[in-house]
Amino acid sequence: MLVTSAIISGLGLGSMYGLIALGFHVTYVVSNTVNFSQGSAMMLGAVLGYTFAVTLGWPLPLAVALSLLLCAMFGLVVERALVRPFAERGSNAWLMATVAGGIVLDNAVLFTFGKEPRSFPSVLAQKPVEIFGAGVYPLQLVIPLVGLGIALILHLVFHRTRLGKALLAVVQNADAARLMGINVRLAVAVSFMISTALAGLAGLLIAPLFNVNSDMGTLFGIKAFAVAILGGITSAWGVMLAGLIYGLVEALVTSFFGSVYTQIVVFSVVILALVVMPNGFFGRAAVNKV
Amino acid sequence: MLVKPRMPKLFRSLLLAGAATLLAATGAAAQETVKLGLVAAMSGQSAKSGEAIVRGLSIAIDEINAKGGVLGKKVELLVRDDESNPAKGVVAARELVQREKVAALFGGLDTPVSIAIVPFVNGAKVPFMGVWAAGTPITRNGAAENYVFRVSAVDEIVDIALVDYAVKKYAVKKPGMILINNPWGESNEKGLKAALEAKKIPYAGVEKFETNDVDVVPQLTRLKQAGADVLFMVANVAPSAQVVKSLDRMGWDVPIVSHWGPAGGRFSELAGPSGAKVHFIQTYSFSGKLAPKGEAVLAALKKKYPEIKSLADVTPAVGIANAYDAMHLTALAIAKAGSAEGPKVREAFYGIDKYDGLIKSYAKPFTPSNHDALGPDDYIFTFFKEGEILPLTN
Amino acid sequence: MTPAERARAYAMPAAILALTAVAALYAAMADGYAPFVLALVALTAVVGVGLNILVGLAGQVSLGHVGFYAIGAYTAAILTLKGIDFWIAFPLAGVIAGAIGFLLALPALRVSGPYLAMVTIAFAFIIQHGATEWRDLTGGANGLMNLKAPVLFGKVFAEREMAVLSVLLAGVSLLFYQRLANSAWGRGMVAVRDAEVAARSVGLNPVIVKTAAFALSAVFAGLAGAIFAPLFMFVAPDSFPFSQSILFLLAVIVGGAGWVFGPVVGAVISVVGPELLSSLAEYRLLFFGGLLLVVLWLAPEGVLGTLAKFVRSTDSRPAEPSGFDVAAFVRPTGESSRLEVSGIGIAFGGIKAATDVSFEALSGKITSVIGPNGAGKTTVLNMVGGFYRPDNGSIRLGGQELAGAPAFEVARAGIARTYQTTKLFATLSVLDNVLIALRRGGLGSMVTDAANAGDRRVAEALLAFVGYRGAIAVAAGDLPHVDSRLVEIARALAMRPRVLLLDEPAAGLMRADKDALSQLLRRIADLGVAVILVEHDMKLVMGISDHVVVLDAGVPIASGTPAAIRHDPKVIKAYLGGEVKARPRAAPWAGSRDPVLVTHKLTAGYGAAPVLEDVTLEVRPGETVAVIGANGAGKSTTMRSVSGLLRPVRGEILLDNRSIARLEAHRIARSGLALVPEGRQVFPELTVYDNLVLGSHSRGGVNTESEIEALLKRFPRLRDRLRGRAGLLSGGEQQMLSIARGLMAKPRIILLDEPSLGLAPAIINELFEILAELRDEGVTILLVDQMAALALAVADRGYVLESGRVVRDGEAAALAQDADLEAAYLGRVEAAQ
Repeated sequence: MLVTSAIISGLGLGSMYGLIALGFHVTYVVSNTVNFSQGSAMMLGAVLGYTFAVTLGWPLPLAVALSLLLCAMFGLVVERALVRPFAERGSNAWLMATVAGGIVLDNAVLFTFGKEPRSFPSVLAQKPVEIFGAGVYPLQLVIPLVGLGIALILHLVFHRTRLGKALLAVVQNADAARLMGINVRLAVAVSFMISTALAGLAGLLIAPLFNVNSDMGTLFGIKAFAVAILGGITSAWGVMLAGLIYGLVEALVTSFFGSVYTQIVVFSVVILALVVMPNGFFGRAAVNKV
Repeated sequence: MLVKPRMPKLFRSLLLAGAATLLAATGAAAQETVKLGLVAAMSGQSAKSGEAIVRGLSIAIDEINAKGGVLGKKVELLVRDDESNPAKGVVAARELVQREKVAALFGGLDTPVSIAIVPFVNGAKVPFMGVWAAGTPITRNGAAENYVFRVSAVDEIVDIALVDYAVKKYAVKKPGMILINNPWGESNEKGLKAALEAKKIPYAGVEKFETNDVDVVPQLTRLKQAGADVLFMVANVAPSAQVVKSLDRMGWDVPIVSHWGPAGGRFSELAGPSGAKVHFIQTYSFSGKLAPKGEAVLAALKKKYPEIKSLADVTPAVGIANAYDAMHLTALAIAKAGSAEGPKVREAFYGIDKYDGLIKSYAKPFTPSNHDALGPDDYIFTFFKEGEILPLTN
Repeated sequence: MTPAERARAYAMPAAILALTAVAALYAAMADGYAPFVLALVALTAVVGVGLNILVGLAGQVSLGHVGFYAIGAYTAAILTLKGIDFWIAFPLAGVIAGAIGFLLALPALRVSGPYLAMVTIAFAFIIQHGATEWRDLTGGANGLMNLKAPVLFGKVFAEREMAVLSVLLAGVSLLFYQRLANSAWGRGMVAVRDAEVAARSVGLNPVIVKTAAFALSAVFAGLAGAIFAPLFMFVAPDSFPFSQSILFLLAVIVGGAGWVFGPVVGAVISVVGPELLSSLAEYRLLFFGGLLLVVLWLAPEGVLGTLAKFVRSTDSRPAEPSGFDVAAFVRPTGESSRLEVSGIGIAFGGIKAATDVSFEALSGKITSVIGPNGAGKTTVLNMVGGFYRPDNGSIRLGGQELAGAPAFEVARAGIARTYQTTKLFATLSVLDNVLIALRRGGLGSMVTDAANAGDRRVAEALLAFVGYRGAIAVAAGDLPHVDSRLVEIARALAMRPRVLLLDEPAAGLMRADKDALSQLLRRIADLGVAVILVEHDMKLVMGISDHVVVLDAGVPIASGTPAAIRHDPKVIKAYLGGEVKARPRAAPWAGSRDPVLVTHKLTAGYGAAPVLEDVTLEVRPGETVAVIGANGAGKSTTMRSVSGLLRPVRGEILLDNRSIARLEAHRIARSGLALVPEGRQVFPELTVYDNLVLGSHSRGGVNTESEIEALLKRFPRLRDRLRGRAGLLSGGEQQMLSIARGLMAKPRIILLDEPSLGLAPAIINELFEILAELRDEGVTILLVDQMAALALAVADRGYVLESGRVVRDGEAAALAQDADLEAAYLGRVEAAQ
């Protein structure tokens, strides 16, 4: 039972990490930059969802759609205001700018949404069902499915469609991509919008299992970044799988060795894994000619 | 309670804050007031605690100023954010004491922040009043001249009370501990272990979890397998709710005896119906039939903070109540000292005979050997029922 | 040193000392709170200086330095609580943090970029959680309290003394940084950052250089932490949150990474900023976040980096030979310089890139390695240079076995090299590029200048020797192409090599420059250096080589004197393909006079001075037009302007009578103009097939399968590689792919920018034959190529560019006969790119 519940907990959490990490993946493969306020985007999704669905009482589908749309708009703002002005000059200050953007958003939400954590009710997280002796909310089963589904979609888009190839071309050679008629700026902006929308979706999915508050995303954001890196950031599958592995390791370490050393062990594993596999589990070394 | 009506409040606050900066910059209003400082977590995950303390202090200050203030001057509160970081707390305390020349300081929720400030205030000879952080060494800091006082729980004493309660109510044989992984959790781990040791009760295990952990099932499963029959829980409201939800999911029905964390917010909403199973300790609750003082404070709160509509919005009650009483006790001490000088005020704290407060009637609340105004008899056990905190009778 | 230089050399240390003195005096005089804040600024600056070594010099990012700060603080706290004197604990804290930094660097620096950031983030979390859990030592989450203040000469340190101590440490740190940045170590760090591969070939070991940077930066964080502990008299894990790491890094970036005073400016902003906002209480973080964004927007390169843009002046002094005897310096002494390569081979993923290659390079001789693109020439150079470890065979230099030795050792043993695409240290000055090589990998002390006056004289003489006439203070990254080739050779010579490897040094040079180059190579060889040359320009190769080795598909097929090679039928078949030529149009072009593409008074440039001025040209439907001119005449700029890559431009560009001068590149591409850019620019990580598919992106990608099939008939070389990554193709194949990709757009007009660059003669013939076919099929072509005779042969009309202006135009055949054309090539080139 210990193992079963650890595995189910781990997979559920892991797919959350994976989902947010896919957001890092999307912007990285298109623009070689990432949005360090992904955690805040996740929080934004949950907060907006709560506001629309619970506070304002709108129908759930509408609330979800609108939340995701606004999260995507946040991504657009991040790209326009926090990434592009720096990335276009070859400066890496976008790293700091997105962090600062996250701080601003977290605090702005703190004073508008409120300081108290709120509960996001969901029919999928009320009655646990029993699987191999472990109690599980149906939502916990939905989350990995959504995660894997999105990884599959991203994989197909990037590897099977012309649009996906065009997006991949942008990062490899932006000028050449423009010569192919690809609107590079639009592509990068869209990648950020997808990225924050994915984080927002993660926030909406996790909210009923967790709670909604202004800094719910911080630790998730960091862990998701670890997951993205471990997975090799350039592979959607790798990132999702790394998320599941990360969640599993976390739950199993806690189950077998106790919670005291979970973070120490997990972060040590991150370092060791990167030492052994400098490109992550599934990353591929870029073509590099001397 | 929509998002919309709050926006003007934000703007108003920002304007006020901006104005405050300007005032501070011009150095106006020099010592026409008695300045008191608060160093607490005003942002981040503990922001609610800071807000509660500010509310408790402000209500008391309004009352004091309505009666003419102290030493013939109005009382003014200066608030600083410590971001739950001890280093920032010390910088803020220094700024308040050395630049703003406050007569006394109030502390916030985080024990390490308070512990970090203690050596400084003892050196600077400025009274420091703890209203929340329950770490034992804050007041028992070993300084020859101790300037630190407290109107709040003390972890060691709380932990003894928790163990006593578990023995009486559930005849506990082998409790487990599920504690938040922060200084507060650690302080109570020590306290609970000592309290259990004193009663020769073995424990099933100690598990820690993080504030943002979604799933506590692995930790709880370990405790269950180790044979825990009662859980001692120490965590703030949201993580406490995560424990309850994880228990629900596991289908493990186990009594929970908790520190005061669940009182800090909408525990019923977050934890669901099973939240009622959690019995937690309190210094004060605004629920039920209140004494006249309680009614008056509640009315003042509702008037001053229009966003408070029901009792569920008066959270965390302990923060408000502790701060309210601490403010009045401090004002009494300053008035008694006849001066805002630290050493005199410190002496005057010992001289307070009687104060009819919100939490209780204080008689000789402070002595040179006891800087804690609240003792073992001042705790009550309560539980949540449909959003209201109700007392439990032993 | 001139008095001015001496003044400049002492100005910075003097400024640091003055600032330190003022700050220390202020700390000693002011009251309570102010010195405390000053101490915090100073400590942040100290950590910032450490990070500046890592970020500003070595170009690595760490988000985990709060971990080292915490290690320093805990070391000081624990040791002083155990009764050990602070003045012993203080340096120990630096040593321990440095040692842990060293241990972390070994694994951490195997990765870079976001991967390194993650390793350092994980490190910070491990330290924070470790400090919480190792309770016996660290006091757990509630930390260690009642720390003792340091005592010196009976004086117990209060906040003022602590502030003075912090300020002094900051001053010492700044001085150290200033010395380090000017030392060979500092230059080495920058070199490794700018071009790690090239750094190895000047004898630097990047692992050691980067590890040193990381460990040093940890030392400073540790020392600052050691003062933090007694300053606050308390340490706890919560004092070192992850966000503090970000603030440290922010201080460096906001202040200006790589600037001596950058961390100071950043520390003031990141420490005093929040203090000024403290009365905002709960709104402080919100405002601070906003404030940071405003600073970043206003000064994206940091405050100092942005300010420096307004005051930067460049010293335009050229290199002075000053009578130094370069010949005596370069001429190898001692043992023989015979390089014996015997039977080396290597395979990548089962594919043999080179098999059983043997040759000798003798002192004083030029040995050329030629062969088709993808024949394995660069692979052989990389094995000799130590970048690849050969699977078998031996490489001996004067009796020393070098096969498999790392590149920096090979370089130190006396084998220097240049690269196909020049790899200079872009942010170092031209002079510093040569000076760092002069040390042959020996970095010496961290606090003495990288070079003395004597070294400078040598470096200048070398630059003069190779014929570099530009300014020596200019950043190498800003050099025009020809100059960067020359500086790279000077840098290689500074290693005093016994063997000099040159990888296509003439690529992209005009005839006159090539002639100068061949004379230079001959002079170098005559000094006794064994020169090994990989080159496609047969005139150059045949003119100066003593011995020629021919490779095809990784296998040597011939070797001998130039004369013998020239007539070897195997070589002619595999490589030379006969004389380089192009097929003119059978009958003169006669078509519509309504142009497809027109530029009218097109003016464009990259900075203040325009590179193009009033360029007016037109291309008619079905016509092939060549633009010729010297290096830097503005040919590529014309192509970039027309295709929309360079914006804004002045003047008018019409495509099918529609103005495109203000359109962006992707819109122009969709309007039917395809540019095959200089340097192929295929998408290296995508397959050949996907590259082709993307070629049709601009018109919605219809019927790709049949079109790709048609193109594969024209470019049969691509068929076998269709599913392979484009980055793995040889240069010739990449060029074919790039053209095929352009054709996939079915453009109204196709622009080709330097298609023959770096291609083997046989491939060039193949390429121009394809161009001729396209021309004959009615494709409209605008062509730029440095092989002007070829370009004019295939073209119908031509334009001659000189210094950004059209100086001649007319029928291609007429231009080809024109004696004046010579002038355009010798060029009065002022407007360098």
